[in-house]
This record gives sequence, C-alpha cells and structure tokens, in this order.
Amino acid sequence: MSTVEPTATKRFSFMDILKAPLLIAIALIIALLLLGEYLSPGFASGQQILRLLIVAALMGIVAAGQNLVILGGREGIDLSVGGVVSLAAIIAGNLMGGENSGIVLAILGCLAAGAIVGAINGIGVTLLRIPPLVMTLGMLGVLQGLLVVIRNGIPSGRAAPGLSQFVTQPVFLGLPGIIWLWIVIGLAMAFLLGRTMLGYRIYAIGSNEQAAFMAGMPVKTTRILLFVLSGMFAAIAGICLLGYTGSSFANVGEQYMLPSIIAVVFGGTALSGGKGGYTGTMAGATLLTVLQSILTTVNIDESGRQMVFGATLLLLMLFYGRGKALRA
Amino acid sequence: MTTDLVAAPHKRQAHGLKRAIERFPFLPALIILVALLVLNGVYQPRSVSFVGITGLVKTYLALMLLAVAQTYVIYAGDIDLSAGAIVSLVNVTIITAMTALGGDTGAVIAGLGIGLAVGLACGVVNGIVVAALRLQAIVATFATSIFFTGLALYVMPVAGTPAPTAFWRTYGGRILDIPFVLYAVIILAVLLVVLARTKLAVRLLSVGDDQQAAYQSGLPVTRIRLQGYALCGLFAALAAFCITGDTASGDPLVGGKMTLNSVAAVVLGGTALAGGFGTVTGSVIGALIIGLIGSLVFFVGTPSEWQNLVQGVAILMALMAGILVGRRARR
Amino acid sequence: MARLVAKAVSKTYGATKALRRGDLEVEAGEVHVLIGSNGSGKSTLCKIVAGSVRPDGGQLLLEGRPMTVSGPEAARKLGIGIFYQELSLAAHRSVAENILLSDLPGGLFVNRGALNAKAQRYIDLFQGVTGDDFHADATVETLRPDQRQLVEIMKALSSEAPVLIFDEPTSALDRAQVDRFFEILRRLKDDGRSIVFISHRMDEIFALGDRVTVIRDGETVATKRIAETDPAEVIRLMVGGEETLVAAEPHQPTVVAATAKTVLAVSGLSGAGFRDVSFNVAAGEILGLGGLHGQGQSTVLRALFGAPSPTSGSVQLNGATLNPSSPRATIGRGLAYVSGDRRRDGVISGRPILENVTPIHAVKQRLALASPSALRAKAKPALEALRTKFATFNHPISSLSGGNQQKIVIARWLIDRPDVLLLDDPTKGIDLSAKTDLFQLIRKLAAEGMAIVLYSSEDAELLGNADRILVFNGGRITRELTGEQRTRFNLYQAAYEAGEAA
Repeated sequence: MSTVEPTATKRFSFMDILKAPLLIAIALIIALLLLGEYLSPGFASGQQILRLLIVAALMGIVAAGQNLVILGGREGIDLSVGGVVSLAAIIAGNLMGGENSGIVLAILGCLAAGAIVGAINGIGVTLLRIPPLVMTLGMLGVLQGLLVVIRNGIPSGRAAPGLSQFVTQPVFLGLPGIIWLWIVIGLAMAFLLGRTMLGYRIYAIGSNEQAAFMAGMPVKTTRILLFVLSGMFAAIAGICLLGYTGSSFANVGEQYMLPSIIAVVFGGTALSGGKGGYTGTMAGATLLTVLQSILTTVNIDESGRQMVFGATLLLLMLFYGRGKALRA
Repeated sequence: MTTDLVAAPHKRQAHGLKRAIERFPFLPALIILVALLVLNGVYQPRSVSFVGITGLVKTYLALMLLAVAQTYVIYAGDIDLSAGAIVSLVNVTIITAMTALGGDTGAVIAGLGIGLAVGLACGVVNGIVVAALRLQAIVATFATSIFFTGLALYVMPVAGTPAPTAFWRTYGGRILDIPFVLYAVIILAVLLVVLARTKLAVRLLSVGDDQQAAYQSGLPVTRIRLQGYALCGLFAALAAFCITGDTASGDPLVGGKMTLNSVAAVVLGGTALAGGFGTVTGSVIGALIIGLIGSLVFFVGTPSEWQNLVQGVAILMALMAGILVGRRARR
Repeated sequence: MARLVAKAVSKTYGATKALRRGDLEVEAGEVHVLIGSNGSGKSTLCKIVAGSVRPDGGQLLLEGRPMTVSGPEAARKLGIGIFYQELSLAAHRSVAENILLSDLPGGLFVNRGALNAKAQRYIDLFQGVTGDDFHADATVETLRPDQRQLVEIMKALSSEAPVLIFDEPTSALDRAQVDRFFEILRRLKDDGRSIVFISHRMDEIFALGDRVTVIRDGETVATKRIAETDPAEVIRLMVGGEETLVAAEPHQPTVVAATAKTVLAVSGLSGAGFRDVSFNVAAGEILGLGGLHGQGQSTVLRALFGAPSPTSGSVQLNGATLNPSSPRATIGRGLAYVSGDRRRDGVISGRPILENVTPIHAVKQRLALASPSALRAKAKPALEALRTKFATFNHPISSLSGGNQQKIVIARWLIDRPDVLLLDDPTKGIDLSAKTDLFQLIRKLAAEGMAIVLYSSEDAELLGNADRILVFNGGRITRELTGEQRTRFNLYQAAYEAGEAA
C-alpha cells in the first residue's frame, strides 16, 4: 500500500499537551488538591480524597448519560437528568423502605423509570423533532410535578443499610462500592465508544447525521437509545445519591442538571456533538467536585464562594470549547 | 380530475395560513391563550373579570418581561441562563439602595436607576463572555448565573428585607382608578413596538438566521450579540422591578426559578430557539400561557399535590403543540 | 496603476493548502475573470480580498496603497463588495432587508420607507426577469434558488463599491437573468468600476471579460487579455500538464454479452424531480446518465438508494422486487451509492479513517463489536485497490486531500461487494490522479461483474467509461446513446435538443 505521510502530519508538541482536555483537567485537579492542602492541611489526605471521589462519582455517573446525548449531536442536551435523579432517589427510598431485601426491586424500578423518561425524551426529539433543550426542559417540569405527587402520597423512604454501606464504606481494596461502580461505568463507556459499532455510530451521528443516514445507520433509534441511557444513568446516580444521603428530600437532583453539562465540557466533549469521550468527562466531574470542595473548605461567605466558583468556571472554560472565530 | 378541484383550494388555504404564521409567528400561541382564557372563564368566571385579569398580569408581569429579555438573546441564536440570577441581583440591589437612601420617592427613583444600571452591567458581562470570548452560551451564562447569585447573596445574605412602602404601594395600587400594572402593560406594549422597529432587532434576527452569513455581509456580529445581551439585562432589571413590587421584599434567590420558565415562554410564543425567527409579542403571550395553565389547573379543582404535575404536563404539551403546529403551517 | 493588487497571498486550513500564491491585478473599468478548477483557490482569494478569510501571507494593495482588511465590515468601508457563491442571506428576513443588511437606512430605527425605496432601485434593475412573487417585502425563505441568487447580486450591487467581486453568480440563473446581469455589469464597467468575475462557463467568460487570470492548485499561473486568447488556451492553463490523463485511455465499450443477466431493472420510476424513468443494467455493464446538470440524474440515483424513496414505479434487483424505503434497506439488498457531495453525504468529519471506511461493513455484517485490528485488515484491500494515500487508520479523515477523502468514502462500499454501484457525480472536486485511480477501479469492478450506474457532470468521464448513455432532460430519459453514437457531439446535441423539445 502506498502509505504516504499526509502533507502536514503534525508533530507532537507542547501546544498539543495544552490542548488535550484530559491532561488539562488532571493537571488542574492536582493543582487544586495542592492548593487545598496548602489552604487547609489535610484536604488532600487519602480519606478526604476518597470522600471527594464519592461525590465526584455521583456527578460523573449523571454526566455519563449527558455525555452520550451531547455526543449524539443535533444540539443534544438533557436538562431532565436533575429531575430523574430526584425521582430515582424517591422511588428507591420508597421501594426499599430501609430494608436490604428491597434493593433489587428498587434498582429495577428506578432503571425502568429512568428508561421511560429517556424514551419519551428521545421520541419527542427524534420523531416529533422537538429541540432537545425544549423537550427535556418540559420533561423537567413534568418530573418536578411528579415528585410532589409521590412525596405527598407516600411517606418518604429511607436508604437500605446495604446501599449506604455500598456508597460510603470501603468494600474492596479500601475503595467504596460506588467508586468501583464508577470505574466499571468508565470502562464500559470506553468500551462502548471505542470498541463497539454502536459507539462508532454515536460519533458518526453526532459528527454528520446525513452521512450516517446515507451509510445505513439507524439514526433515530440510536438517538432515542442515547436519551434512554441518559435517563438510566441518572437513575443509577439517584439510587447512589439516596445511599449517600440516607434519605431523599425535595429536588436533590437539581444540583446535577447544569453541572453535569459543565463536567462534560470540562472533559473536552464538544457541545456540537461528535467529538469527545467519557474519560475526559470523569476528570471533568472530579475537577468540578474538587473545586466545589475547596471553596467549602476555605473560610469565606456563601456569597464569596459562589462568586469565586462562577468566575473560576468561566476562567476554566477559556481553556476548553471556545467557539470558532468568525473570520476563518 | 376531482382530486384537483379538492386539492387546489386546500393548498391556497394552507398558503394563507403559512403567510399568516410567517408574519405573526405567535398565532398558534395566541390561539392557545384564547382557549385557556375561555376555559378559565368556564371554570371560574371571576378569573376573566377585570380584577381577575389584573391579578394575573400583576403576578406574571415579571415573567412576561423576563421572557422578553430572553427573546432578544434567542433572536441571535444565543441563550441566557443567568436571566433569573440577574432578576435576583437587581431585586436585592434596589431594595438595599432604596432603603439606604431613605425609602422616599426620590430614593425609589434613584433605586430604579441603579437597578437598570446593574441589569445592564450583568448583560454586558454576559455579552463579553459569550460574544467576545466566544464561550458556549449555555454553559457560560450558567457560570455567570452562579457569579450573579453570589453577588446577590453578598448584597443581601438572607431573604426578607421589605421593600419601601412607596414602591410596592405604587406597584399594587391604582392611578385614576386604574391599576398601575395596566399602565405598565401599556408602556411595555409601546416599548416593544418601538423596539421591534429598531435596527438592532433586524440585526439580531439576521445574526440568529445565519451568523456566518451576517458576518460576511459586513455586520458587526460580536457587537450585535453583545447588544442583545445588554438589552436582555435591561429587561431582566425591569422584570426585577415587577417582582419586587409584587412580593414587596428582597430575596437573593427569587429569580432562580424564573430562568427556565422564561425560555419556555419564548418557545411557547413561537420563537425559534435556534434564532433568526420570532417575536417578543409571542414571548409575552407565552408567559401568560404559563400563568393561565397554572390558574386553570387550580380552578378545575385538581388536588393540590397533583397541580404541579398536571401543570408540567400541560406546559410540555403546549410546547410540543406550538412547535408542531408552527412547523406544519410553515412547510 | 492597478486599482486592486493581490501579491503572493496564501492560506492554509489545517493540512490543506487552499491558496499557495494568489496573484491578481485588477484595473479600474475592467471585468477581470478569475478561473480555475474546483478547489483551485479562487474563492479563498476572493474571500481574503473581501475580508472574510484571514490570509497567512502576502500583500494587498488598493489604489497603490497597502491595505489591511480586518474583516468584511472593513472591506465594505474600503469599497469592496462581494457576491458569495454560497450566498450570505438571512432566510427569514425580507428581500429589502437582505439587500441593505449591512447598511440599513435610518438611525436608531429602520426607516422602512427609505429601505423599501432604496431596495426597489436594485430590484428594478432586474425588472421583468425576477419571476413571480419577487418583491421588496417577500421573505427570502419563500424564494426560488435563482431568485435568492438575484438577491445576493443586488446585495453586492448595493455596496456601490468601486471593486465588486462575483463568485459564481450565475449558476442558478436563467438566460434572461444572465443577460440582464451582464448588461448591468457592462454599465458598471463603463462607470469605471472594477469587477472580478468567477465563472465556469467559457461562453460567459469570453462574452464579458476583459482579462482572465487562471489559478491552478492554489497558484496564479497566468493573466491574459481575453482578446488575445481562446478557450483552448485557458483550459490548457487550467489543467496544466495533466490535461490528457483521463482522455488518454479511450474506452472501448465492453461488449456485454446478450446472455448477461439483468441485475437492476427500473420501470416507471417517479419522484420529486423525475418522472417515468425506466432502464435496465446488466451485470458487468457501466450505464452512464448524461445531460445537462440537474435534470433528474442525481435524484433518480438517490431514489433508487432510498434517500428519499420514489413515489411510484417498480425496481427489480436480481429478479426480486426491491422496495427502496431507506438507505439501510437498500444497502442490505446489495446497493451502493457514492455521492459527489462528500462533505454532506459521505465524510464523517473529524473522525478517524477507520470509522469512515467501516460503516457499511458493519451494517451488512450486522457487527456489534468493533475490533480495530480486524477492521483494518478488512479495509486495507479496498483502500489499496483505490491507491488511497494515508498515514494511519487513526488519522482523522479531514487530514486528507479531497481526492483521498472521496477514496475512503468509496472504499467503504467495497469491503463487502455490492451488486449494484450507483455513482452520483463521484469525482466532483477531486484531483485528476484520484479520478484516474477511481475510473480504473470502476472498470475493473465492472469487468468482475458488478452492475454500475454512473452519473457525471463531466462529459469526458461518461464518454470514456460508460457502455451506454441515457440522456436526461426535465426529469425524463430523452435519448439513449449506444456504441458508436457515444460521441461528444451527440451527447451535447441530445442534451440541448431535447431541452428545446421539452
């Protein structure tokens, strides 16, 4: 074969490192940990880092689904994840009622609920061609209403001890179950996106939907599936969140809605779709968590904390997805 | 042969509807609004009385204004997720300023001036971040919303400081026996008509239509988008005035919930989220639809715990219906 | 002294050198034609002059003074107006607003009266040829393609700039519109304006131009006075030394044995843009579709492929009925379709070559898992058959030249052999050596028994490769050319003569 170098094969350069989102995120995480340790000794201790990772795992699992929807392109975004997390936390609490025997049923129930919400989102977006932002925004309103119904109807349930233990206590090699779960999800996502034809298809649809269609790919089915997976990942996160907090309360999931998108962006996935991956998103979720945690550690007012957080997010975004210049 | 005879007038009719919706993209929303008014009237006749409507407007004027604010950025294909945070910041700022200045009429007017300045400043910040620094609007304005909320918390750490009496009495009161909010609505209507005739409106819509084409045509795209955000900030400040008049107190988180509703109102009004097409009138109607759905759900006697759900489902249905009808008619 | 001078202007996009050394000198009061094959860098040069593309190097002079154009807005202020080939219109705005978009009359408010009156002046220039429903208040979205092109022309004219650039302004216009437009251009020229004009139509160039500058592979190769040159010389300059590559191998029609079985039988096929199309293709045959551009050839091929489905008619594939409901369905039955618009229909931009070459294999084999090493092994022979040049399978497809990108897209169909290969102007915008590689392969595939339908906008490609040619006009097949009838003369005659009859 005539394997000739293309005219401009780029050399690996320092600029490329600066442009690799995963490396930026990891470098920033380390820098923030060091800063935290400096500001408040003990911040970067093993125990603290484990705690941070548990919180990051919750965000990261939600962001997995968000990541898939965004990769699928056509302004893909899922604002309903916050609602699904809350819903799953409540359903799980009610179904397990503090008993280990109810865990399996709770998991199945939550996954089903997440899948149904995702399927409705997906159908609205593909078959009725409602913009994802509008569809999932409307769905968020529905879910918030549903939460009120469930909360008023049935007394709020509690997490089963087994679940709480899984989320917060070491289960294997000193790591809590949720971190193992997150690692498994990370591997599964890497496998899905890199080693399956479904993964190739997701990138193809997000990158050039028309070409994907002309190559015989089932564009609509795939996109619906992405929303279903997003709902299911949010449901898993909701169950874990219940285990973390012990009992569910109103709108616990809302804190994940927009931050999950930011985690994806910080992981180097383009909001325009077709470009990125989950490994970066995991780092992005960790980065967000460490940043939030540092701000709670230092002794400033809530107001100052929010201002610094907002400003830092903006600063970090400058490293990532800046739009194309109008002048080519 | 017969098929031709049947098909021809139908086609012409479709064409007429297409033209009508092209000129008035808010037509489907207007129909939904009228239907909701009728239903409200059927279930609770008093709700469509003068007093009922005044009450509705008083409660939803803030959302109407915020939807208008949101429309100007959506015109250009952008979005502002910090609109609600701007409302909160302006709300606490004007109350603090008015109180500090003594709470009399002069203080109220000075406070309003400061409020507009704050709203404008927030809008400009958003514009710089999104248009000049080219960050993604959806994540960047979320970040600024956190920053603005932080500022609001700094100005007023806890909710509850009351607004000066002179302010909320005027807002809730009457002039010449006509409720103040109706004057406000008339002023708003005039303002929107005037703004619709500005060059900026045409330029914002052109940028939203095709940003690259607008740039290549020689439009200063960055400046136009920035102006859209600035206008959004100003209207968010106006929305804050209304919510302050309605609640008569300061709350650093009061606007947070309004952001997504403002987006929903804009979409309900027939404006394309992708930009380039829409009207502010539609957004005002969209905000009223959200309000009327809420009151209708109440009037039909929905059990209290079901109200949010029914309301959520109804808004989702209205959003979908509006998009589907608009698209079908325009095809 | 020339009014506008571009000296050694260059531009690189990623791995592609769009413009290596663009030189151009335009006098006051002349129509200066810029010509070159697709992708030669003409548009890039124009966009650099008009400010919408930032040059990497070179110099621009206006009236003898060096100028830096910071953007389109600045260019307009400097007195440079441009017609963009891809148009720069706002679909939901009115004709008048579009014409005067960058210079709306009025202060803070739009002066509607002045806007419409001013726009009307430009609309009136085309009075009588604009077609129905064309008025200042019409929304651009509702206009036909030719009318939109007129709006873009009026928009460029409204700049009233001393330098006017028109990048393929006539592609959608009819004869009367072109005539009127040329009249206007001649008048502007007489007023002393400088006009840069890009067109592929040799007749237009010689009817209108004063001088012609030829660009080849991103470099200006020559500037000639129109009066002192002829079309043959211009073409020679355009194609350089490679001109004879395709024509060098005259194609003797394969004698398809009378016994060769019919693979694809199309009967009475109708759909958007074509009516009642019937033809058969036998195994080993290359069937050409000819005629003027856009007469239904492409839409028929797409309909056979299911994108979108035809509205009526029947298709038989290997004797069984084929329902072209979607590309997925027809791919499963053994059809392949290569689009000439690779950026829209083919290339999965930004993704690695491996992902771009394997999707059809995955669909046909119903693969769930993607094993890169196994896929690479499958893809290699197909890529070799086309002499595709690439570094590794992991490089993004966008790092390749247009010709190699198209080879990757074609190779995806060859991993599992289709029965029928539909080629829809497959060589649009690719270099000559890639074309040669492609047609060598196509003939080899036919010799191995594949049924091939080829539409090409270049007559030479049809004449050099097709065994039979069906001439399309107005969405119908109007003539069939076989054997000795397949000459350039007959093809031209059939294309135009049928047009008069229709």
